[in-house]
Amino acid sequence: MEGGPFALIATDRGVRRLHAVDEAAATLGLFVGQKATDALALVPELITDEADPEGDLASLDALVDWCVRVSPAVAADPPDGLLLDITGVAHLWGGERAMLDDLLARLARQEIPARAAIAGSAGAAWALARFGEDRTVVPPGAEADWLAPLPVTALRLEPETAAQLIRLGLARIGQLAALPRDQLARRFGPGVLMRLDQALARAEEALVFRRPATPWFARLAFADPISVPEDLARASRDIAERLCARLLAEDQGAGRFELAFHRLDGRAERLAIGLSLPGRAPAAIARLFAPMLETVDPGFGIEMVTLAADRVEPMAERQIGLAAIGEIAREDGIAPLVDRLANRLGEGRVWRAEAYPSHIPERAVVRQAPLAAFGGQGWDANRPRPVRLFARPEPIHIPLAQVPDDPPKIFHWRGRVRRVSKAEGPERLAEEWWRRPPGETTPAHVRDYYRVEDDTGARYWLFRAGLYGGDEPPKWWLHGLG
Amino acid sequence: MTGYAELQVATNYGFLRGASDPEDLVATADSLGLKAIAVCDRNSLAGVVRAYAEAKKLGFKFIVGCRLDFADGSPSVLCYPTDREAYGRLTKLLTVGQMRAKKGACELVWSDLVAHGDGQLLIIAPPEDLNAAFAQALRRAAKEFPGRVWLAASRAYSAQDLKRIAALDAIGRAAGAPMVATGDVLYHDARRRPLQDVLTCIRHGCTIQTAGLRLEANAERRLKSPEEMARLFKPWPEAVARTLEIAERCRFSLSELKYEYPDEPVPPGKTAMQHLTDLAWAGATWRYGEIIPQKVVHLLHKELALIEELGYPNYFITVHDIVQWARGEGILCQGRGSAANSSVCFCLGVTAVDPCKPDHDVLFERFISRERDEPPDIDVDFEHERREQVMQYVYRRYGRHRAAICATVIHYRPRSAIRDVGKALGLTEDITAALAGTVWGSWGDEMPDDHIRQAGLDPTNPEIRRAIDLATELLGFPRHLSQHVGGFVLTKRRLDETVPIGNAAMKDRTFIEWDKDDIDTLGLMKVDVLALGMLTAIKRAMTMLVEDHGRPIRDMADIPEDDPSVYDMLCKADSVGVFQVESRAQMSMLPRLKPRKFYDLVIEVAIVRPGPIQGDMVHPYLRRRDGLEPVDFPKPGRGYDQNELDSILGKTLGVPLFQEQAMKLAMVAAKFTPEDANGLRRSMATFRNMGTVGDYGIKFVEGMVRRGYDPDFAQRCFKQIEGFGSYGFPESHAVSFAKLVWVSAWIKCHHPDVFCAALLNSQPMGFYQPAQLVRDAREHGVEVRGPDVMLSDWNSKLESPPPRGEGAGGGGLSPLGAMLEVNSGPSCSGDSPPTPPLKGEESLPVRLGLDQIRGLKEDDVKALIAAREAGAASLEDLARRARLSRRALELLAEADAFRSLGMDRREALWAVKAVAPEVKASEAAPLLAGLGLEEESTALPRMTLPAHVAEDYRTTGLSLKAHPCRFFRSLLTSLGAVPTEALRSMADGARVTVGGLVLIRQRPGTAKGVIFATLEDETGIANAVVWPDVFAANRRTVMSASFLVIRGRLQRASDVIHVVAERFVDLSPRLAQLKEPDAVLQITHTPGPRLQRSRDFH
Repeated sequence: MEGGPFALIATDRGVRRLHAVDEAAATLGLFVGQKATDALALVPELITDEADPEGDLASLDALVDWCVRVSPAVAADPPDGLLLDITGVAHLWGGERAMLDDLLARLARQEIPARAAIAGSAGAAWALARFGEDRTVVPPGAEADWLAPLPVTALRLEPETAAQLIRLGLARIGQLAALPRDQLARRFGPGVLMRLDQALARAEEALVFRRPATPWFARLAFADPISVPEDLARASRDIAERLCARLLAEDQGAGRFELAFHRLDGRAERLAIGLSLPGRAPAAIARLFAPMLETVDPGFGIEMVTLAADRVEPMAERQIGLAAIGEIAREDGIAPLVDRLANRLGEGRVWRAEAYPSHIPERAVVRQAPLAAFGGQGWDANRPRPVRLFARPEPIHIPLAQVPDDPPKIFHWRGRVRRVSKAEGPERLAEEWWRRPPGETTPAHVRDYYRVEDDTGARYWLFRAGLYGGDEPPKWWLHGLG
Repeated sequence: MTGYAELQVATNYGFLRGASDPEDLVATADSLGLKAIAVCDRNSLAGVVRAYAEAKKLGFKFIVGCRLDFADGSPSVLCYPTDREAYGRLTKLLTVGQMRAKKGACELVWSDLVAHGDGQLLIIAPPEDLNAAFAQALRRAAKEFPGRVWLAASRAYSAQDLKRIAALDAIGRAAGAPMVATGDVLYHDARRRPLQDVLTCIRHGCTIQTAGLRLEANAERRLKSPEEMARLFKPWPEAVARTLEIAERCRFSLSELKYEYPDEPVPPGKTAMQHLTDLAWAGATWRYGEIIPQKVVHLLHKELALIEELGYPNYFITVHDIVQWARGEGILCQGRGSAANSSVCFCLGVTAVDPCKPDHDVLFERFISRERDEPPDIDVDFEHERREQVMQYVYRRYGRHRAAICATVIHYRPRSAIRDVGKALGLTEDITAALAGTVWGSWGDEMPDDHIRQAGLDPTNPEIRRAIDLATELLGFPRHLSQHVGGFVLTKRRLDETVPIGNAAMKDRTFIEWDKDDIDTLGLMKVDVLALGMLTAIKRAMTMLVEDHGRPIRDMADIPEDDPSVYDMLCKADSVGVFQVESRAQMSMLPRLKPRKFYDLVIEVAIVRPGPIQGDMVHPYLRRRDGLEPVDFPKPGRGYDQNELDSILGKTLGVPLFQEQAMKLAMVAAKFTPEDANGLRRSMATFRNMGTVGDYGIKFVEGMVRRGYDPDFAQRCFKQIEGFGSYGFPESHAVSFAKLVWVSAWIKCHHPDVFCAALLNSQPMGFYQPAQLVRDAREHGVEVRGPDVMLSDWNSKLESPPPRGEGAGGGGLSPLGAMLEVNSGPSCSGDSPPTPPLKGEESLPVRLGLDQIRGLKEDDVKALIAAREAGAASLEDLARRARLSRRALELLAEADAFRSLGMDRREALWAVKAVAPEVKASEAAPLLAGLGLEEESTALPRMTLPAHVAEDYRTTGLSLKAHPCRFFRSLLTSLGAVPTEALRSMADGARVTVGGLVLIRQRPGTAKGVIFATLEDETGIANAVVWPDVFAANRRTVMSASFLVIRGRLQRASDVIHVVAERFVDLSPRLAQLKEPDAVLQITHTPGPRLQRSRDFH
């Protein structure tokens, strides 16, 4: 973050506390766990944003996936760690040291600050990466020596246990390791010994490695890079079939697909399509991608294509029955049309009108996705609205109106005089004061609406803006018909 | 001629619905020319007394009403009692509903109304949908309450109003419930619509953007004039006319509730007045012996006559009854308040202030006045830990049907207002929090633009502006009702026939819907049963004086008076722990005021308060006291009594200091009527009415100037009145408090050991933490010993003096013990050397209680003591016999409480962990399950003294081994800092640097943004003043540092020394070094340890 100190805030049991602080904020004495109000009182210029622990976890998982390039066995160690089992793979990089340097350099290029260590046990590596010198590589069997000077907090103990060990003067791992094991076990239980043994590579530790890929993800790598549009189209068909086969096998469908062309230079070109209803027909999906393929810049060639499905939900094979004719029409009739229109015209160009809870007539109608479920907001019979509402009210002239709030007897609209035979109202609607600058709102900013019928039987929705006797004379408008 | 009475009005006491105060609604109804107004909040009468008071002032007709909402689907009803009995049924009905529900809710069904419906007039409020079920319900109601049911119709300016009203008219006719016009009012003025919308959002927990149709479509739910109502209901004139008919039939007035005092305590065959007279004379004999001083005889006659004339004997008897019971139980108490400082109260044992003493001269008439048609007011303070017993007695004695706690109206304050408004307007939490953060807590603080800018927000931004404007409008609105701390209301007849009673959040507690002001307005009997920590401490001290020192002091009246050594002590501001005068501000006042007699203490208590400070009365008073300025009395112009203020200002050298004096000034010098004076007093109490305070201000100043007073003096008097605000401190309270000042000061002066132990056992209370109390005691030559498993009780206690040669820990010390003898003996606190105890009053050692150990539970300690008394004499024995949890043992060990068993904290913790193993013995390997400590001894690294001190602070908040600053002395010296004790010998204006732990940070509302900070080092304490510009430049350091070096200039006035801060060095991170060097290894982003939290007062 440029400039000022920055912190993330999370709500913990109703209290907003700092969840993470950057270096600038830490230098100013702010710390994780501090109440947000205290922190802001101390450092009013603190810039804050909402913490997103789930997003953090997702990013960590993404990093796990990315690390698969180094070793197939990668485990996430939330909130901020990764454990890689590199048994037998270091030689591919020319040794452990080189491998470590390569990995950190790649992370640095992505602007991910990291510390790392290699040791014979996960516990020792964990400790050294956090409390030792960065990029430590421990020779086999030397864990005890390397860990001895580190604080006991490096053993992944419960914070209270670590604090008590320190209170007993047992601040370093070496001091702890030198104590008789039975005395330690008696006082601290098997937990401390287990952590100690794990760190010193005396005990096994089972790591939960992440599955190699997301469930709804397909990958197609090419021996020779491709770049011509025909190849891209074929590749997108092939990969769609691959992923859709899996969706079908598990009775799932997806509402969104993202196609990525990975170029030789490491960049990726991404395309996405959305379906109004979940689907898994490869041909249909490929067809929706087809018009966009010409926008893909293959650079020096594309070495891999991936397709990810999103908004995945169960989608059973349907039995088409007589009773379900409406449904069929929606799903098999209108839906493909809507998809084609929407993907061609652009999202948001195809819509359906729905009632929205607002007193202001213009705002009481909203556009909904064409096949979205009904919001449940019906039209209120007590507040009748015209069949056709003008986007912009049209001015009308009223030669005669009874003050203060009777309906007009006659009005001029589009060059003709209309004589009112029946009328209902007024319905008084005041402005939405919060949408105007403060100081400019007044109770006189009202519209009085009348439903009137003229002598030909035509119905109109008129309103008078403002009140008689106010600072400005009121104006009359026609806002709808029928 | 049109006429209209508004019968359907919601106030802001119908929480989060109505958007106007009852007072505004009544006043507007009056000015619009309505015939009457009825307040109908939902299932509540919380706002009626305020509306009644305003209507009474205006001579306007007010009708008590209530909107009843039912839980069984019956239509809502507006209910108006026609007489006292019907009113009693209405309150009973509401009580039934509220008792059925949780706090703040009310659950009624139709049959409840039928059961309590006699004498009520009912207007049915129709639902939106006028279906057949409603028509049927209406018919039923009309049949059940013949001739007393109407149907409400209002014009909301919705699309089909007229159609709907026509339909209502028809339904009403058919059912026999005639239609009546109402305004269904939510606010007095259309401009309140935005605020009402915000309230709706707060109620629904939504934002204004998403509230949609939950908001009203327009601003029509305001009060309307009779003409407008007649026009809106033109086709139905009879619907408007019926409002007058209904109003006419509502004859009940709240004034009928007056003075219904309980008469229990009066024995049969006597009148209340006879009984009071007997009690008073018997009390006089108890106080003075057979020969009652002439002055007292005279006073008693006079006061009793006044009490009889005003009809208050039951009141005094009731207070006496409660106090008498407490005395019988050995519960220490003292009364204060408008009627407390009378000879009657002294003789009844309600107070300990003897009116016979020359300077205890109290003018009873000043406190109970004929003009002020209000009942007397006595608050009684009890020992804070035993107050609950007194409350239970009151319930027992008068019954829960006749005694209940008053409500406290929780008002919107700047912080809560901006928070709720911000949320409703959809501002992000960060912005709202930042805005709320700009209010530094204290009341009345507006939200100045530069504060908003300081919070990083733009005050001209429309969103921010709107939030602030609306929050300002919301300020002072009632937010919810809560129970008052101890204000009891007592009645003669059933209380639920006077006011609705509801459940409190606390189990087995009920409270009424009205607050103390309402009770005052109506003249009901109320007694404040309050808790005061100092009384607990005094009580404990008296017990120790009797049991440990053998001094015959059993009552506060037994404490000797007029003891010069106590005044000497106070004059030196040697007052840590003394009631009221221990704060920094009081400590800097003491050497200037130099109290030499009791009344000086009364003034001392009252002078360091917002009123006198804002009125700029403090310095004139001090100058006059020091003889630097002649004592003269402000005079009116010629033609008026030149000495009219002499009697009012006589005792305070012509300078008004007390609230009574200011009020009296308003009446005598500015010729306020009693009503005006009362109105002024009331408007000061609620910030909502800040505007009206201003109106009174003009009247006040003009009134005085017109009568020839100096305009400047008049202005200052009024500023003072404004300063009293809700912190008003009358002389009648100050006198009672001064007594406690005297008693506590006397104990501190003569028995600092007793004082220390008593205060420690009454925590939390007062201004200082145990660390400072212990330090102060040690500086007064008291030996303080640490908490110990074998020697301490739960509470701190006095021990017999040790045989010479035995150390602080007692018992066999581990080798470490010797090294810990670093107590440097008495040093000095504050700015003058402390007063040594007198000869013959040798201090006993104080043994700290195990209650000082954070997290330790009293039950564990009880078990420990039982085991000890049964002969347990080793760690294993104690653990086994007391069945102590591992946690409890660890807490004891970590607090270094095993010294008498020969173990320091580290050894003890190691041993404890073996005795109470982590794993249950049965689950452990057989090898580990063996009992005892038969294992090789393990040499743990030795704990350094600084680490011990840090651990002492962590576990008990204080250390007897050393002051942490001792370990940083060379660092402090290298930064140029001198020990705080050196300040005493430095000259005014000298440049100086001091450093220490930050004890207290304060930003008093009266000090215009100045911050006071108190530092403590191993030699004493130093007070620093931080001016706003210096604070602005060092905000973070000043607000957060726990170990601070301050450079600045020494300021000395009388014996008061301050360092005016210019620059700061924050040493807080260094405190981490106290711990083991190894522990600092951790890579951590948490801050350095705070040894103790400073007390920050905003």
